[in-house]
Amino acid sequence: MRNLFPVAVAVAAILASGPAGSTDAPSNAYCYIGWPSDGAVLPAGKPFRVWFGLRNMGIAPKGVAFKNTGHHHLLIDADPPAAGQQIPSDRNHLHFGAGETETMLELPPGKHTLQLVMGDENHMVHTPPVVSRKITVTVR
Amino acid sequence: MRFPLVFPLLLAASLHAGTAAAATPTPAPENAQVYFIWPHDGTVINGGKFWVRMGLRNMGVAPKGTAMTHTGHHHLLIDTDLPPMTEPIPNDRNHLHFGAGETEARIELPPGTHTLQLLLGDKDHIPHAPPIMSKKITVTVR
Repeated sequence: MRNLFPVAVAVAAILASGPAGSTDAPSNAYCYIGWPSDGAVLPAGKPFRVWFGLRNMGIAPKGVAFKNTGHHHLLIDADPPAAGQQIPSDRNHLHFGAGETETMLELPPGKHTLQLVMGDENHMVHTPPVVSRKITVTVR
Repeated sequence: MRFPLVFPLLLAASLHAGTAAAATPTPAPENAQVYFIWPHDGTVINGGKFWVRMGLRNMGVAPKGTAMTHTGHHHLLIDTDLPPMTEPIPNDRNHLHFGAGETEARIELPPGTHTLQLLLGDKDHIPHAPPIMSKKITVTVR
């Protein structure tokens, strides 16, 4: 059954492509917060720089369809949506749709979590999701 | 299926480049800054393989062919001086292009002293006005 093989491959490819509408990301893509470090204690009332790291993948602004790219979203005290889900845009989900790779942030005193998640041109989480480790910082 | 969409965009960009790009440089914010996060000036690298981390401030990264205000993509100049600022940045062993929007690159250099400098290019690989370039740093491989 020689000509069944391509069909099987095609079906397998569709099944493997994940949730409908989600963009594929390289399996070795690596997203991380370069600064601040996990556990950092930061002075209150003073903005600090957050630096976004991305490896084995590129940056493209929102609305730009380019293979193996996405743009950064910084989650503050929030969990990332699942693959194929749209990332909300609010005070806890900051979008960097102009291709920014760092930002200045000021947070109220207390403990906060920070996490990066890549979104595709429509702010959807990739398959597999490209997320950083969630870090905790203390502002005081 | 994003290839069919990308191709016309690139085609349109290259057609546009032929007509107007040389005459009107892409403006960049006055406070834009490109810099090396790593390595630092004077870093000694054992073995010669290292990640270059490219930093950009007050501006965004976009792949080649993308016309979006206040964006560009990184070019790493190795052991070379700045190219002409009104032409596309050369594409060779001394001028590495990161047209897929990369912000980090794995580099391998032979033993010795090497200079590294970052230069941002617009959608057609032409430096902005004003040109956004880093300090030229020196690293030693041994």
